[in-house]
Amino acid sequence: MSTTSDQIKATGVTSGAALDAGPRGRRSLAGYLFMPVVLALVLLLTYISVSRRDKDPTESKRLAFDYIVARTVEHLELTGASTVIVLAVAIPVGILLTRSFARRVTPFAIALFNIGQAVPTIGLLLIFAIVWRLGFEPTVVALAAYTTLPVLRNTMVGLTQVDAAVIESARGMGMTKLAVLTRIELPLAVPVIMAGLRTALTINVGTATLGAFVGAGGLGILIVSGFSSNHPYVTIIGGILVAVLALLVDYLAGIAEDVLRPRGL
Amino acid sequence: MRYSKKAARLTALAAGLTLVVTACGDDGGGGGGGGGSSDGLDGKEFTVGSKEFTEQKILGQIAILALEDAGASVEDQTGIEGTANVRTALESDEIDMYWEYTGTGWVDILGNTTGDAAKDPQELFDAVAEQDLAKNKVRWIAKSSANDTYAFATSQEKSDELGVTTLSQYAELVNSDPESASMCAAAEFLDREDGFPGVEETYGFDLPDAQITELDLEIIYTALPKSDPCIFGEVFESAGQIPANELVVLEDDKQFFPGYEVAMTVNDTVLADSPELEDVLTPIAEKLTTEDLQAMNAQVDVEGLPEEAVAQQWLEDNDLIG
Repeated sequence: MSTTSDQIKATGVTSGAALDAGPRGRRSLAGYLFMPVVLALVLLLTYISVSRRDKDPTESKRLAFDYIVARTVEHLELTGASTVIVLAVAIPVGILLTRSFARRVTPFAIALFNIGQAVPTIGLLLIFAIVWRLGFEPTVVALAAYTTLPVLRNTMVGLTQVDAAVIESARGMGMTKLAVLTRIELPLAVPVIMAGLRTALTINVGTATLGAFVGAGGLGILIVSGFSSNHPYVTIIGGILVAVLALLVDYLAGIAEDVLRPRGL
Repeated sequence: MRYSKKAARLTALAAGLTLVVTACGDDGGGGGGGGGSSDGLDGKEFTVGSKEFTEQKILGQIAILALEDAGASVEDQTGIEGTANVRTALESDEIDMYWEYTGTGWVDILGNTTGDAAKDPQELFDAVAEQDLAKNKVRWIAKSSANDTYAFATSQEKSDELGVTTLSQYAELVNSDPESASMCAAAEFLDREDGFPGVEETYGFDLPDAQITELDLEIIYTALPKSDPCIFGEVFESAGQIPANELVVLEDDKQFFPGYEVAMTVNDTVLADSPELEDVLTPIAEKLTTEDLQAMNAQVDVEGLPEEAVAQQWLEDNDLIG
């Protein structure tokens, strides 16, 4: 296992993300409540500001409650669908690439996913718009291409950091390779994998704003509309809502991380 | 916004410095050269500006080449970002002239509403020219019939299939079969009162939100030939992508959109010093048509030719420079 680990490091994949997910205790109740209270406060202030504002026709249309809810739902659909794709691709591939038989292809596979993250998402969206189509599907694929790498990387780092002695003793007890993977390696890798997923989710919420340029809707519409029709207030509200959503999603993923982490870790 | 203003100020400063330097240089040269010239603009110096998009840069080059042909020396300040910035440059004497659109002058610059705009292009031009001179000491000359207005477009195939060639027919389609009337538009068009809301009101229809796809203006031109995700779209009538993608522009049969006809805006004092400018620019404006603009925009945007070469070719083809 240690050779694979060296190899990953040699290909430029750092285990820095693993440090973020370093073992820590579950938070206190106050710790859990802090973020939702802050976010609720921000939303409340935003709501008061919007409802008390003397709005012109553009602002009335773009900042209507139903309109914002519809854009938020679109935004969450984009984020959710792309995250499902990321999970379905990155975790199985990450597992495969850490098996000893895949040692030779690992650097090439990582290079491929690196490209996915290196290509600007807006460029990918516009290429899709020309050769494929506009709207929901290409935006989901572009978002997934961008965020597969962090989850893949963390899956691999999480699996390779498992102590080789633990695996050896499991094998010595007569467990099959599959049993070692599902009962020893994956549970021990959960915190690191979840940290990667959290990163991916937060990036996706922010990047999904680009959907506004290619007819995929989302909260980016508010940002673009406010900019192009010279209504900075609309842009700022859009920006605040995206930020709140990103922090909220990050918070929920943090809770999932705490719940899924095996006891004793 | 802050960045572009800063950039504009820097540009303005740079332009100002250049003007001071060239003005000083001119004093020495002018005394020596002397002589009254028959061609009008010999030895005169001008700075020509333009906005940042293709059509404006081509128009800017046309003016530069024509003025140089008439004997003037011209400084190229084309490509200034946005109407507000190029207009500020004109009013503060950093540039002497740029091509503007009558509708933009009426609504954006002079602050009138679309509803008040004269339907007749010449009347609109006259009204804009009068107000702008009185308010801002800016002269409007050399009006052309080339019109860069908002328009609705669709593919040739869908136009034939649905039998829609005018906005009234489009309104009927929305009211009978909204699914076939799906629309792509950019945020600005959907928000502006002289955009989609005004069209809906004038033609009497209300397209459901589900049939509207909001996206970036430039990719509408490539989405329409595929009829995906929308069958109709907002376009600029003089865009080069219209002929390139074989799009059909729907006729605005109730004349909702004000004219956005191309004309030259010149600083009043500059025109007073060189009234011959009008003799040079008017023949150009008289020749220029919307189709010419479309063709020239396509040569730059689709074929990738440089603006200056396209401008030169057009002037030569129309015998406007010798």
